[in-house]
Amino acid sequence: MHRSLLAHRLAPLIVGLLSVSLFLLIWEIAGSTETVRSELVSYPTQILSAFKRLILSGELAQNTLISLREFGEGFAAAIVIGIACGVAFALSRTIRYLFEPIFVALYTAPIIVFVPVLVVWFGIGTTSKSIAVFLSAFIPIAINTTTGIEEISESWVRALRAFGASRTQIIFKAMLPGAIPSIMAGIRLAIGRGIVVLIAGEMYVSMSGIGRLISIYSVAPDGVPEIFVLVAVVATFGYVCVLLFSLIESGLTPWRSHS
Amino acid sequence: MAQLEVKDLSLSYPGSRSGSTFLALDKVNVSIEKGEFVTIVGPSGCGKSTLLMLVAALLRPTSGAVQLNQKDVTKPGPDRALVFQDFALLPWRTVIKNVELGLELKKVPSAQRRKEALKYLDMVELGKFCNHYPHQLSGGMRQRVGIARALSVDPEVLLMDEPFGALDAQIRQVMGLELLRIWERERKTIIFVTHDIDEAVYLGDRVLVMSASPGRVIQEVKISLPRPRDLSLRNKAEFTAYRETIWNLLEKQVQANGAWRQDSALS
Ligand SMILES: Nc1ncnc2c1ncn2[C@@H]1O[C@H](COP(=O)(O)OP(=O)(O)OP(=O)(O)O)[C@@H](O)[C@H]1O
Ligand SMILES: [Mg+2]
Repeated sequence: MHRSLLAHRLAPLIVGLLSVSLFLLIWEIAGSTETVRSELVSYPTQILSAFKRLILSGELAQNTLISLREFGEGFAAAIVIGIACGVAFALSRTIRYLFEPIFVALYTAPIIVFVPVLVVWFGIGTTSKSIAVFLSAFIPIAINTTTGIEEISESWVRALRAFGASRTQIIFKAMLPGAIPSIMAGIRLAIGRGIVVLIAGEMYVSMSGIGRLISIYSVAPDGVPEIFVLVAVVATFGYVCVLLFSLIESGLTPWRSHS
Repeated sequence: MAQLEVKDLSLSYPGSRSGSTFLALDKVNVSIEKGEFVTIVGPSGCGKSTLLMLVAALLRPTSGAVQLNQKDVTKPGPDRALVFQDFALLPWRTVIKNVELGLELKKVPSAQRRKEALKYLDMVELGKFCNHYPHQLSGGMRQRVGIARALSVDPEVLLMDEPFGALDAQIRQVMGLELLRIWERERKTIIFVTHDIDEAVYLGDRVLVMSASPGRVIQEVKISLPRPRDLSLRNKAEFTAYRETIWNLLEKQVQANGAWRQDSALS
């Protein structure tokens, strides 16, 4: 048990940390000794002090909160509506044939192109960005819900039907639980899409948010360290999101983690 | 009056070409008394599963009717519980939650549900495994969960479609014994489909022998072996005679129509 814990959990972590530290060290030396031009690539300690500045000025907290809110609202709606659409598609051919073309179009089109229109409709505030997040995130969730339900075992549904289960009971007690792994895969896909459109949308047309900060610092003189901080914040957020949903998934699918 | 009546029951499936139909069951008549253990054998594809699905009302008959206590059966319900060859357990539910399923669908309050489920889990000797997941159990244990789930709703009729078909020979015998023990205690009406003639004779009060497709009941063989039965019965002359009779009936069907299923190679 001890050995395997070390091998499976700790060893990759240690190796990972070592490689990251080594990378940071080389970057620090190269940047601070001006081996490469530091105003272009910056270096870790410089980035750290930019981080401090952003925190002390309150800019970071304020804009992070706004981005979080935009993402949270849009993504929550995407999960609820995405799953509902997915179920409707799985249950009704008609609904599916009616809406599938729109979905495919929305799925393949870069949602960022709708942001200017959304801003015209909903204003430059947070709503337009939430809706952009929603639009880009709910489709993979819907599609994966549909395929997840279509792929569940016929025998589960039959077992419920044999007991006289209602349609609603079949949806909530066989279809959705059976489709959870697929729905979760859709959600992971949606996280990436949502973050991209959020940051790009904020950079493009907005008054606030992390994306807005990035676009401000990208034209500011000596803004490179700040941009690195902001990129790290976005990356961390994406990572935490994925981790969170993986945890939720293993909580919801205890039968899979055992096998 | 019989508890369960199958009257002139026919079923056609949609055929391979559009507009065509495939007759799977042709005017089947069966009459089953309360508490009777009826086993069904027949060539592969003769419509045994179809017959059970019709009794469960998971399929609608093309003509004829199924009556339970003189009332037409029109929709599935907990008065007829199914046990499936593939167990059909829900992998995301623990053993006890699986057993509770039927009660949950009937909206039985959770405390009572749990109590009932535990009772039947104890009956199949799985009380200790109530918090396990199905994948942590052996095939035999999984089917015992399937049986507990079916019994938990206190059905009038237990419909079992090759319930031990996925288990190996030894476990099959143990499961057969256990089923007899439960049946002797609960006295549920059981309709039990099998490929194993020994099993059919050993378990049943009556064996229904079906024809090759389209399925009809060609003969009913009453099994007058004493109960309670145990495995020693298999060496008795009467047992062998019953088995011989049924085998001969089936052989004719098989010769008349394609092959007897390979996995039914007789013991
Ligand atoms: N959904 C369906 N559509 C069309 N034909 C079907 C369908 N289900 C079954 N059949 C056909 O009906 C016949 C009876 O099938 P059924 O499954 O009831 O047979 P069975 O006696 O249970 O066979 P087995 O012993 O192999 O389980 C078979 O010939 C089968 O091909
Ligand atoms: Mg069958």
